[in-house]
Amino acid sequence: MESATVAPAGDERESEVGDKGLKKNSIGFLDGLAIGLDSTAPAYSLAAVIGSIVVAAGVQAPAVLIVSFIPMFFIAGSFYYMNKVDPDCGTTFSWVTRTLGPYAGWIGGWAIFTTGILVIGSLADVSAFYIFDLFGLDELRRSRTAVIIFAVVIVAVMTTICVIGTELSAKVQRVMALAQVGALVLFIVVAAIALITDNATNKSIDPSLSWLNPFAIESYSGLLSGVLLGVFIYWGWESAVNLTEESKDSSRAPGLAGIVSTVTLLAVYIGVAVTLIGYAGLDRIERFDDNAGVLGAVSEDVLGSLSFLVVLSVITSGIASTQTTILPASRTSLSMAAGGAFPQRFATIHPRFLTPAFGTIVIGFIAVAWYVGASVVSDNFLFDSLSALSLLIAFYYGLTGIACAIYWRHELTKSAKNLIFIGVAPVVGALMLFYLLYESVRELSDPGSSYSGTSVLGVGVPLAIALFFFILGLVLMVAWRLTKGREFFSRRPFEAVPPEIAAGGGHVESVGASEEEVPG
Amino acid sequence: MKKSTLVVGYDGSDCARAAFDAALDLAGSTGDRVVVVFGYEPPVGYGEEIAAHREIVRKHGERVTAEAMDRAAELGIDAELALVPRHPTEALEELAEERDARAIVVGSYGESPLKSAILGSTPHRLLHDAHRPVLVVPVASGG
Repeated sequence: MESATVAPAGDERESEVGDKGLKKNSIGFLDGLAIGLDSTAPAYSLAAVIGSIVVAAGVQAPAVLIVSFIPMFFIAGSFYYMNKVDPDCGTTFSWVTRTLGPYAGWIGGWAIFTTGILVIGSLADVSAFYIFDLFGLDELRRSRTAVIIFAVVIVAVMTTICVIGTELSAKVQRVMALAQVGALVLFIVVAAIALITDNATNKSIDPSLSWLNPFAIESYSGLLSGVLLGVFIYWGWESAVNLTEESKDSSRAPGLAGIVSTVTLLAVYIGVAVTLIGYAGLDRIERFDDNAGVLGAVSEDVLGSLSFLVVLSVITSGIASTQTTILPASRTSLSMAAGGAFPQRFATIHPRFLTPAFGTIVIGFIAVAWYVGASVVSDNFLFDSLSALSLLIAFYYGLTGIACAIYWRHELTKSAKNLIFIGVAPVVGALMLFYLLYESVRELSDPGSSYSGTSVLGVGVPLAIALFFFILGLVLMVAWRLTKGREFFSRRPFEAVPPEIAAGGGHVESVGASEEEVPG
Repeated sequence: MKKSTLVVGYDGSDCARAAFDAALDLAGSTGDRVVVVFGYEPPVGYGEEIAAHREIVRKHGERVTAEAMDRAAELGIDAELALVPRHPTEALEELAEERDARAIVVGSYGESPLKSAILGSTPHRLLHDAHRPVLVVPVASGG
């Protein structure tokens, strides 16, 4: 985690205090568990896409959740190993720049920036809907306009909070994360008991083991559509893997927490999918289409007056996630600006709050413009924007997997473990994601066959959105290359991890480190 | 009076200047050493890209504290610079403890309690947390 003391400039005074900081920040089992559980914002993610996955794959939705975890599992190792030697000073942007060159790196960083912009509106949208739900404001909840206006207010407030740099105490965050998963587990248990004792609705269907069988999925396009959304559901999970790094110290607790939280997450996702389908039946869920209200509505049937617990956990995870998505987007732009790959303004920090205020506000504004515009144009805003998001995630995760294998190429033959976890798994994960990307693009090029059916310029809306941002990125990249980015784009690819660092010492210098001074 | 240390929080703002002036003033008569502290842990200590953010905050700190160090040198006050990778409040408290400082000196924007509760206020937190005297200097008195 803490790496500031590795920076060459630190005098004695600084390193002393820094060491104290490290000890104070070391995490225990419960902390690690909460971080791991919260990494994907499970309550929000389920609310946002479980309906669409069920529409796409029917009772096979749980199987889709299993299939989509596989590439994410393979790719997570690359985040872990890259983070170890080039700790989070640029994630995909810096890692891909080192290995596949500045052009691929720039586009990778742009993809992260874009995912932030795409997801912020959807997070606020679902949160706004559920807040109306929580307070029984049914009329407002049913009005798209009211939800959109409230969601914009939420984005504005959360952007301001990111500028100020306010954060909840770690303790509150941990409690919220555990409570969130607790509410989902409660839902699963009560729904399962109702199903077993035949106390569920008359629409309910008995769960079958075949629901977990990926090979039983009949519709290939349903599988594709589902797995693409599944990528979104596990997005962020790799941070649970990073917990294992702590376990090298005296305590193995965080590493164990990473494993336990992953198993719990999978169980919760599959458990909610199974009990939701079983309890509510396919017809009912399909009527919700991509409306995020499905989880709340079924919770009300299952839990009665306690359903507010599930509603509350969707709200807290949605709102908390607006912060955790604005943050990486603004920090990626900061990191890119520091590396000379983005305008310098993005690397400036607010003199009082010390946050990248300019970049944060720009992101907030673009996110709102995008959200309002897309909500007006699209009938399936959530499905379309989250599918587009998944295309971009698959793209930059795939790049990261390849980058990892290239960067560690000299170390791969040193042990079987290295070969499997640093070489084979990331590459296989990347290939799976690229294949998913390819097939999804093919599928979405024919809008008639896809789930939402609507099209823009002859292709499905999710593909149109992803292509729009991708091409915009290419244009901006070329513009930057031709103006101020000459130095950045002259970087050479195919760097490799220095042997002494691979052997377990220190970190490489950040991509932005060559830039001497950042104007304030 | 026995010589001691004054730990001053400095972020380049007007109120930090006021605090620093007050500390220099005090040090002029007590002979205390002034430790200029800049805490450079980014405000939200989690998430990706934290290292790049931290590095930029650190450079910002180096830049703004340079002027303070120059001023102390001009006045012939014994001063030391501490760029600390911690949140400002924690950095000040720990340094003050470690040096057995006479007092922690910080500036105050002079905002309403509600506003400082929302924006975050180092003096406010210090007054509650710190285990030694805290001198809070309002911006107006700095001149």
